[in-house]
Amino acid sequence: MPSPDPGDDETPAHSPAIELRAVTRVYRDRPALGPIDLAIPAGEFLTVVGPSGCGKSTLLSLVAGFAPPTAGTVLADGAPVRGPGPSRGVVFQQPRLFPWLSVSGNIAFGLRRLPKAARKERVAELLAMTGLENAARLKPYELSGGMRQRAAIARALAPRPKVLLMDEPFGALDAFTRERMQEEIRDLWRSTGVTVLFITHDVTEASTLGTRVIALAGPPGRISLDARVSEGLREKVEAAIRDAASARAA
Amino acid sequence: MNLALRLGAVLFLLAVWQVVAWLKIWPPVFVPEPVAVWDQLLRTSTEGYSGHTLAGHLLASLRRIVLGCLYGIGGGIVLGLLIGVVPVLRTLLNPLVTFVRTLPPLAYLSLLVIWFGIGEEPKVWLLLLAALPPVAVATADAVRGVHDDYLNAARSLGARPWEIPYRVVLPSALPEIVTGVRVAVGVAYTTVVAAETVNGVPGIGGMVRDAQRYNQTDVVVLGIIVIGLSGLLIDYLLQTLDRRLVPWRGRHI
Repeated sequence: MPSPDPGDDETPAHSPAIELRAVTRVYRDRPALGPIDLAIPAGEFLTVVGPSGCGKSTLLSLVAGFAPPTAGTVLADGAPVRGPGPSRGVVFQQPRLFPWLSVSGNIAFGLRRLPKAARKERVAELLAMTGLENAARLKPYELSGGMRQRAAIARALAPRPKVLLMDEPFGALDAFTRERMQEEIRDLWRSTGVTVLFITHDVTEASTLGTRVIALAGPPGRISLDARVSEGLREKVEAAIRDAASARAA
Repeated sequence: MNLALRLGAVLFLLAVWQVVAWLKIWPPVFVPEPVAVWDQLLRTSTEGYSGHTLAGHLLASLRRIVLGCLYGIGGGIVLGLLIGVVPVLRTLLNPLVTFVRTLPPLAYLSLLVIWFGIGEEPKVWLLLLAALPPVAVATADAVRGVHDDYLNAARSLGARPWEIPYRVVLPSALPEIVTGVRVAVGVAYTTVVAAETVNGVPGIGGMVRDAQRYNQTDVVVLGIIVIGLSGLLIDYLLQTLDRRLVPWRGRHI
């Protein structure tokens, strides 16, 4: 599958925010992903779509550094990923907020090394960005599903990561909240300039939310489509997933 | 409503007790009258028994329970954390903890008396050994049960490896640890009477044992009731602590 160079307007000397070179991942003798080559230029909003079990989450955990690739290299800003770190924020499908901390406390979790005043300022900034000003002192179990996921996004953005990795973050939300959250994440992406890697199994979400979409077919997950988001793309994405599904069934 | 129900139940039991005592099916040495126990409550509270007032006996026992539990809980949390986090230690220590947990406290009391004499130390040690295993087991299980997402989230937010145990693992495990603490305090409570069978005066257990020697059944019954009631009170306090420490227990998060 030819991959259109998405980094047209990037200077070639600039290394991509994330780069995967011939990456494969094997879980207990079962290939889960790859080989995959993928470059995500800084500032891109990339959605990854595919059926469950195709290796989407594996891709994300490799980029996050939660697991090492079996072969190949994962690079963040040109340097090999050796583990999780604050340059790559993660939002999980479940908010996974720390229930013993308030919303503010959760957001401040990754700001330990800031002086107190700067930390407070940064927390206030993120509360405002995510519309949680009035929820600062609330505990996670006192929030609605949408607010929880907003707090999780604020927590992940707090240490100013270069890349925001999102693993089906709106999958557990109701349709109405999901639509609003999609708007909000686009706004956050525009205002912060963070590079987004967004995993979803929702074709509509994948083909409308970001600037570029890749479809994964698997296991083992491989890129079956890599395209810039444009009019009429949704049908193409759907077709790619259907083909992959029927190929797997055959 | 609940309070009325409970009060009613207590009054009913007292009434049954009184009736059985009146019928004199068994001599008073077996079933003393409630009034006799009440008299003993007043007498031991003012004049004392075996040289100490009831409050003195109770405080001595509570002091042992508190000390034994504090050491046991502290040790149990550290041990549980180690067992939960370090696989080698799990293999080594898990059977040992289970071994100690299944032993009845009286089985090692004699050994503790040989080691530490008949003062306070063997009693506190006994309670420590009784309180430690439940906390250690609960902590170890909870630590292993912490969802990977929490650990990954913390690491992605820049937490250093040595920060993870106290910033994420322990607070995540807190609900189970607090439950373990409640079990531990309960076990310590049931053990204190055993601990006080050797030179246990002052102490509620020592008082009961002395009374048993002189067939003062009313004092024995009084001791049992005092132990039970103070146990109820302590469990109530622990429940309150639970709600304070773990307000998210049972809630979807």
